[in-house]
Amino acid sequence: MRSRFRPDLPPDASVLDDHKPLIRSLERRSLIRGGLSLGALVMLTGCDVKRPEAVESALLAISRFNDGVQALLFDPNKLAPTYPASMILRPPKFNAYYDVMDVKPVNGVTWRLEVSGLVADKRAWTLSDLQALPQTSMVIKHICVEGWSYIGGWTGVPLRLFLERVGADLRAKYVAFKTADNYPSSIDMASALHPQTLLALKYGGDTLADPFGYPMRLRTAVKLGYKNPKWVAAIEVTNKYPGGYWESLGFPWFAGI
Amino acid sequence: MVSLRLPFVCGMIAFAGAALAQSATPGGMPPPPGMSLAESAAMRFPQPVRVGDLLGREVLRPVESQEVLGRVRRVVRDQNGQIMVVVDFGGFLGFGTRPIAVPVDAMVLLGQDIEIVALTPKQLRQFPTFSPSGTTDVPDDTIIKVRLAKPSH
Repeated sequence: MRSRFRPDLPPDASVLDDHKPLIRSLERRSLIRGGLSLGALVMLTGCDVKRPEAVESALLAISRFNDGVQALLFDPNKLAPTYPASMILRPPKFNAYYDVMDVKPVNGVTWRLEVSGLVADKRAWTLSDLQALPQTSMVIKHICVEGWSYIGGWTGVPLRLFLERVGADLRAKYVAFKTADNYPSSIDMASALHPQTLLALKYGGDTLADPFGYPMRLRTAVKLGYKNPKWVAAIEVTNKYPGGYWESLGFPWFAGI
Repeated sequence: MVSLRLPFVCGMIAFAGAALAQSATPGGMPPPPGMSLAESAAMRFPQPVRVGDLLGREVLRPVESQEVLGRVRRVVRDQNGQIMVVVDFGGFLGFGTRPIAVPVDAMVLLGQDIEIVALTPKQLRQFPTFSPSGTTDVPDDTIIKVRLAKPSH
């Protein structure tokens, strides 16, 4: 049946020919490609593993945008919630990218903390050097990206104090960590200077146990669990993006709480 | 912001799922053949834990779905001096459970959760109902050692 809305005199078809290049560019560049990307994103939310590269790069761009917004929103003076010592879970929860049987304990006597990058004093630190610095304790929640959490009590050297002692350039962008279990990690300088970011040496008042990062690990209340490397062996202050273990597999880098 | 975050979060879950699936040794593997419970426990960095802190905790199956097998009712020493965790086992919605005594070396701690890794639910169903005669309660303030595992999910 003929539509009642069809004009009696249809426009001359040549009008399409006149503007063919414009119409093609509109369709291809803006509408169709944009529509395809959106459609692909929706498909990905259905956990389709065979995702096109374009979608992956689109997602990573969104992730980087999120990182930027989180960094803008980060308040260096705002403290994360703390809890009474009676709520400390003993022992804490173990997690890593491998099972606990593969943990390789670190010898605290021969252990050295290497310091490199934009710092005045690159001398390596011993465990007793770190123990001689002023210590801070905090009872905070460890929040994992997987969805679980627990309350833990940590004691150690505030990272800010350590960075000041080694004469670090506090205007640098990143503080990067290398660990004995090959789990590179890095955080932004603002989070590194936050008062609830520690080079932790103790848990619940006792020396850190082997599975939890002895002799030293990072513990920060302003990041998700995977930003807390254990068995730290080296710290670097840098302006070059250092990335991290899970970050190289697509996890967001900023991962603030 | 919200509309942008949704696909981002879902994408992240997709990445995480792929990454976790690569784990060679999920948290609840039973001990390798030929290895005793105590030997395999030693490889899992047994950690001190207060007996009173274990009471009432959920006991899970070491599988991704983490089914609840029961709850810790008490901790006892059997006739041989071995530490056993008495679990209110089975039942439905907390009804119809019965206590069974499981060796502490057959268990792992995952933060707040406990898993029985060395015994299958089928084996546990054949356990006799726990009888306190001949056993002694381990006081709440006693520190015992329990091995660890990474989460099963």
